[in-house]
Amino acid sequence: MHSKAFFHFDSSPRVRADGKALSGKRAAVQCSISVRGWPTEAGSPALRGFVPLEDATAVERLRSAGAALVGNTHTSELGFGLFGDGASRALKDGLADFVLVTDTMGEARVAAAGAGVFGFKPSYGRVSRFGLIGMVPSMDCCGILGSDLEDIAAVFKAIEGGDDRDPSMDGCRMPTLQRDYGGADSTLSAGVITQCIDSLEAGERLAFRGALGRIRKAGITIREVPWKDFDLFQATHNLIGSVEASSSCGKFDGVRYGHCASGSRNWNEMYLQSRAESFSLIMKSFLFQGAYFQFENYPAFERACGIRARLVAESRELFSDLDLLIFPTRHAAIDISRADTVEQVYEPFSLTLPSNVTGQPALTLPGFLPTGDGDIGLQLVGPHFGDELLFEAARRLSPRAEGAR
Amino acid sequence: MNYEAVIGLEIHVQLNCRTKMFCQCANHAGDEPNRNTCPICLWLPGNLPRFSREALEKAVLASLALNCQIQGESAFDQKVYYYPDLPKGYQLSQFHRPLARNGWVDITDVDGLTRKIRIQKVHMEEDVAKLVHEQEGRTPVSLVDFNRAGAPLVEIVTEPDLRSPYQAMEFLRRLRMQLRYSGSSDCSMELGTMRVDANISIRPRGSGQLNTKVEIKNMNSIRHVGDAIAYEITRQENMVLAGETVVIHTRLWDPDNRVTTAMRGKFEGPCIPDPSVPRIVIDDEWLEEIRSTLPEMPDRKAVRFGSQYGLTGEDATIMSSERDLSEYFEAVAERGVSPRLAAQWIAVQFLPLLKERNETLAESSVTPERFANLLLMLERGEINANAAKEVLKKLRESFSTPEEIVTESGYRQVSGAAELETIVDRVLVENPSAVENFRKGASKAMGFLMGQAMQASGGKAHPRLLKEIMTRKLQ
Repeated sequence: MHSKAFFHFDSSPRVRADGKALSGKRAAVQCSISVRGWPTEAGSPALRGFVPLEDATAVERLRSAGAALVGNTHTSELGFGLFGDGASRALKDGLADFVLVTDTMGEARVAAAGAGVFGFKPSYGRVSRFGLIGMVPSMDCCGILGSDLEDIAAVFKAIEGGDDRDPSMDGCRMPTLQRDYGGADSTLSAGVITQCIDSLEAGERLAFRGALGRIRKAGITIREVPWKDFDLFQATHNLIGSVEASSSCGKFDGVRYGHCASGSRNWNEMYLQSRAESFSLIMKSFLFQGAYFQFENYPAFERACGIRARLVAESRELFSDLDLLIFPTRHAAIDISRADTVEQVYEPFSLTLPSNVTGQPALTLPGFLPTGDGDIGLQLVGPHFGDELLFEAARRLSPRAEGAR
Repeated sequence: MNYEAVIGLEIHVQLNCRTKMFCQCANHAGDEPNRNTCPICLWLPGNLPRFSREALEKAVLASLALNCQIQGESAFDQKVYYYPDLPKGYQLSQFHRPLARNGWVDITDVDGLTRKIRIQKVHMEEDVAKLVHEQEGRTPVSLVDFNRAGAPLVEIVTEPDLRSPYQAMEFLRRLRMQLRYSGSSDCSMELGTMRVDANISIRPRGSGQLNTKVEIKNMNSIRHVGDAIAYEITRQENMVLAGETVVIHTRLWDPDNRVTTAMRGKFEGPCIPDPSVPRIVIDDEWLEEIRSTLPEMPDRKAVRFGSQYGLTGEDATIMSSERDLSEYFEAVAERGVSPRLAAQWIAVQFLPLLKERNETLAESSVTPERFANLLLMLERGEINANAAKEVLKKLRESFSTPEEIVTESGYRQVSGAAELETIVDRVLVENPSAVENFRKGASKAMGFLMGQAMQASGGKAHPRLLKEIMTRKLQ
């Protein structure tokens, strides 16, 4: 039964009850997150037979916090999109209490929304990327899926924090958000982006309006804010993502691990054939696109970096008098299980990838946005390093908190 | 038509750090192959570069030693190309935002004039792995040794300010001296810790244009750089005279046949900002801290040696040319030896002895203290110069003090007047014809008689006293 969700399953994980923060909890990780001694192929023949020598920092911290590692779940090819992803299935089948996944475009949140569970993407620089096998170093994050909000909060607490093996955490060593959002009585103010609402189908919009009403009732003020450049996020992500991916995949040569083509006459031919046989057509399109910008159109890449910096600055400006932004997590009609082009891989993530571009934390909650095509997920986006604020807001909104009050 | 060469150099210098640039592996390229490797420098999936602070410090020191302006912000880029020596598929290097810019090194040209050679930039980069091509039976195999992969380098790029092979060689010697002084690199072309590529073009003398350049590589000594540039200038002149066009490409220096041969078209891969290594921000306070660890550099030191110790220009230049040497000289001079005598004896007697045995000053058992004591005995007239040379040789083998060696071996100078007079009297009696010649005006005979007397004293006679007595007795 486990084979559908898992790439590698440990049939005898030791579930301890020794009073640590995650004791008794069963953890799964996507097979793009390193576990020492476990085959970790990141859904690609390019990593066939690759077995990490060390645990990812997040995995090491899960172990120290008492969690039992049950296995690693299938992933899409190199974590790009959700086709073939097994993380939410492991939860649905009751084989794990939470799953760590790589989140580059919003994979954790979109998968969670589709499965009706919670999905969290921490601030960039808050959780070490050491041991994550991703393609877009400036946007990859270690996301968490789980059916219990408090599990996710506890996991985040266990795995977050500085790690000298991840250099991108260096520049981010600031105290957690200064702003006082602490007391349960304080008011939270949230914004919804006009351009986002405009992009919703009628059914989605109706559900979203309904959810906003519940949010107001929970004491969170909401106002609509226009963000002219919001539509630029996807193209920016796509362009920069492909360039970084092209570089990141340069290491896959099929020599020390991974599929190696036979019958080549020299090393150059061997590289070319191994890579040709290892990557899917969509992956090749994505990597070719990145190489095109590297070799042929660097100015376009530079412009995209400029736009990214502008988007980050505009977001910071919005958050100067907002605590949260609220979005649906996904569009109902988009089928995540198939994609024939890079554009189609991107489609399900138009509402989640902005947080990957800006490095902000985001959390999707189930149960707020039911549509005819299923739950599309309520997404809260916080300011950079305001991860705790999201949990605080979610507690106010979640049924358990409402009932307790 | 009369042509002049326009030469720019790109110099890769390996920093003498303990570890590689982005991991903790030992920076020892020469160890048993693939011994100094780890998941980071092999770039196994899931790893991230950890930039070494020591590499940054040494790179800054090297840049300061070349009078460069350290940039407040710099960053690493990925230089993308696919080759088996490059485990990532790109090399971490600084292209868009280098560590330092606008430096210079002064050289003394063949005409004795000082020329300022500008340095465009200094940037940091990681070295690549080494490929070894072998034969297994009939099958050629290529092996990769990753010991060097990730070794810390700086690349120094000059402006096209050099005009002759002489200037290029002089520039490299000065550059090497400055870098060794700063303590950031050993700069050995023979061992590959300094590698030089030269870009050469020619133009009609007096014209300001920059023509198509050709890059030459594979020179493993400064002399080879000069030879390769000279060859390339002639080759290009001949081409232009024959009406051919110079095309941009890379050539290899072949030291056996003393020619350059075409290697490949010049390929420049793209350089894109690396998203993983943090941007490098250098504040003034930290920079001053590093600057304060920079020693007094050779130019200033030579001036000081002239004014403080009264050394001649030439001696001051020699004594300041290497950091170890300058420190040795000062340690000897501080013990009361006449600085000029110390400089002379170090340069003319001691350094050749070291070279003979391939020893360094630091390795030698002749400490500044022992050397100074020897020279002090010479100055006090307790031994003469010939004896001092002998004692110096013996000091290398023994732990005795110079005084003990002088006593044990009977080198102490004969300067008692009575003893010297006895010797002179005997020599004059034994050489009547020489005496007569001298008296007839043949001053050369004096030299002969002095030689005889010195020999009779066993080489220990005090030369000045001996000559005084001899002169007196001959009159």
